[in-house]
Amino acid sequence: MAKVVLTSASKNFVDNDIRDAVSRSFDLLGYNYPKKVDTVVLKPNLCYYWDYSTGETTDPRVISVIIDYLRAKFGENVSIFVAEADATAMKTKYSFKLLGYEKLSQAKNVELLNLSEGEIVEKQVSIRNNTITLPVNKMLLESDLVINVPKLRTHNLVGMTCSLKNMFGAISKPRKFSYHKNLDAIIVAINKLVKSDICIVDGLIARGKYPKKMGLILAGDDALATDFVVAKILGFNPRAIGHLKLAEKENVGDVNNTELIEDKTSLKEAKKLFPGSSFLLHRLSWGLQLKLLDVYLKLSGDVSPPFLKA
Amino acid sequence: MLRVGVIGLGKMGQLHFLNALHMKDVKLVAIADKSKRNRNVAESYHIKAYDDYTKLIDSEELDVAIISLPNFLKEESIVYAAEKSLDVFVDKPLARNLAEATRIAEKVKKQGVRLMTGVNYRYFDSVQRLKDMLDEGRVGDVVIATADLILNGPLGHGRVPTPVPEWWLSKEKAGGGALLDLGYHLIDLMNWMFGDLHVEYSSLGYRFQLPVEDGAMVVLRSGKSKVNCCVNAGWFSKSIFPDFNFRVNLHGTVGYKSTDNFAPKNLRLHAIKAASCNLLRKATGRKMKYLSYTYYYHSFFKILELFFDAIQKDTELPISLKEEIDVIKIIDDVYKRNGADLNG
Repeated sequence: MAKVVLTSASKNFVDNDIRDAVSRSFDLLGYNYPKKVDTVVLKPNLCYYWDYSTGETTDPRVISVIIDYLRAKFGENVSIFVAEADATAMKTKYSFKLLGYEKLSQAKNVELLNLSEGEIVEKQVSIRNNTITLPVNKMLLESDLVINVPKLRTHNLVGMTCSLKNMFGAISKPRKFSYHKNLDAIIVAINKLVKSDICIVDGLIARGKYPKKMGLILAGDDALATDFVVAKILGFNPRAIGHLKLAEKENVGDVNNTELIEDKTSLKEAKKLFPGSSFLLHRLSWGLQLKLLDVYLKLSGDVSPPFLKA
Repeated sequence: MLRVGVIGLGKMGQLHFLNALHMKDVKLVAIADKSKRNRNVAESYHIKAYDDYTKLIDSEELDVAIISLPNFLKEESIVYAAEKSLDVFVDKPLARNLAEATRIAEKVKKQGVRLMTGVNYRYFDSVQRLKDMLDEGRVGDVVIATADLILNGPLGHGRVPTPVPEWWLSKEKAGGGALLDLGYHLIDLMNWMFGDLHVEYSSLGYRFQLPVEDGAMVVLRSGKSKVNCCVNAGWFSKSIFPDFNFRVNLHGTVGYKSTDNFAPKNLRLHAIKAASCNLLRKATGRKMKYLSYTYYYHSFFKILELFFDAIQKDTELPISLKEEIDVIKIIDDVYKRNGADLNG
């Protein structure tokens, strides 16, 4: 049975509230840890050079509390890596710096790991009876514990981004834009290859139509079950989200027997607070605008600025 | 017919390239860019492409070079073009610092060529209308002027994400951050409106812990008109097209006016209106207002057109080199005061 904890750090959270909420979520989750834990990989969402205050990237304070929790549990000698891969337009060497992770690594004595560098292996997995090959950093496959620390927010391409989509960012290949045509299958594929042992969702500042301080923290021992709960908070039917539907079909997780623990807040309250947005409407509206632009450019011979090029 | 070469076909270079292709009495002869991908863009328009700007300048008969290179390559490329007697249009900033700008100005003067910096913000319709109101005395004597330009800067991306060119994040290669990149426009506008500026106060911000500043606040005072100007520039704000966080506010003895009063409230509706007008112009054989549907990008077309016009007619350039040296002087002063100059 999957277990998901939904808790709150209060809307006007300060550092201590974050510490309490994250620690509490771990305790309530009561994860059955392996007997020996020497290495842990933490995977925040650092998708782009956008500050955590925008609601786009994982708050380094959440990672900081997780590090302290792990040290208290497994001792000072446990090796902790904060990992992210380069993306089409993002280089981890800059995102670590810009988003406060370099400072965090110095303060907490943890290593920053670029998943696009080092030992990378090509791994194969079958999705919808098709074989997909993805490059994965060996550290992700061999660490004793993978803790996925995604954001809670909507996403213009796939509706929502949380635990499963965050692992898409862990694929070693930097030009992940090339996967966009087959995004749902690739998201499910990487999650089949790399299992998130624990998900700690940063919903302190959630982003829907706009960013909003919601103070939410979720913990889950099943990435898919966690994302199902998050989808409901965002106002979606989880099975209407392509990659969640496919993940369920591919048995990435168990969503039929989820135990949801609501602490200091409720799913209903969180859903009410979330500033929802329709990604379908967004996509249709952008699609229509770009179509109209194409027609106009053809008819008029006007100039199209390079930043609008596909 | 002016024979033009474009040096550097990054985002801005491509914009100048496309604009030049649409201009009357201008022949775009060739381009130069180190990147094969960028050269392919030119070749898709059947324009010859070189992998080195010196080869372009040495091989082709040109009148004008449009230089759209990273800041650290500005001086050497301008000097090379000037030595071959080419007139030059260069993206802002003119140079990384005052020493470079001064050497550029001396070279240009010695070679007897003309150089103009692409400070396109002067040609936003909203800025032009505000300047008209200022000149007509509609705000009275201006006592306080403020100007804001706070975006993602080079950290933003277009419709398709592309990596941020790394030189932007190097103090040595870029010469500076948000102040030199975006503040440059604002200081140019204040200088154009009020003149004789000197720095009263300045502060640089480093929220992202980069080697260059991602925020700047500068208070300037005009010795001529006694106006106090507050300039705020930043790279720290997530901005998604078509959002555009720019404004100039003038507070005078008669009242208050802002570029916000004249900029379109809804850029999508503006795009529809401007595109319809252009189609009508085309149908009736009148001159198109290129890029007007994007509102802000039209200014790039306008400034390049004015530059070519001045070169062809041999009239005074709309933006003088002295004005641009004044802007660099102020920025240099701010960097020195904050220990952020190249030797700081």
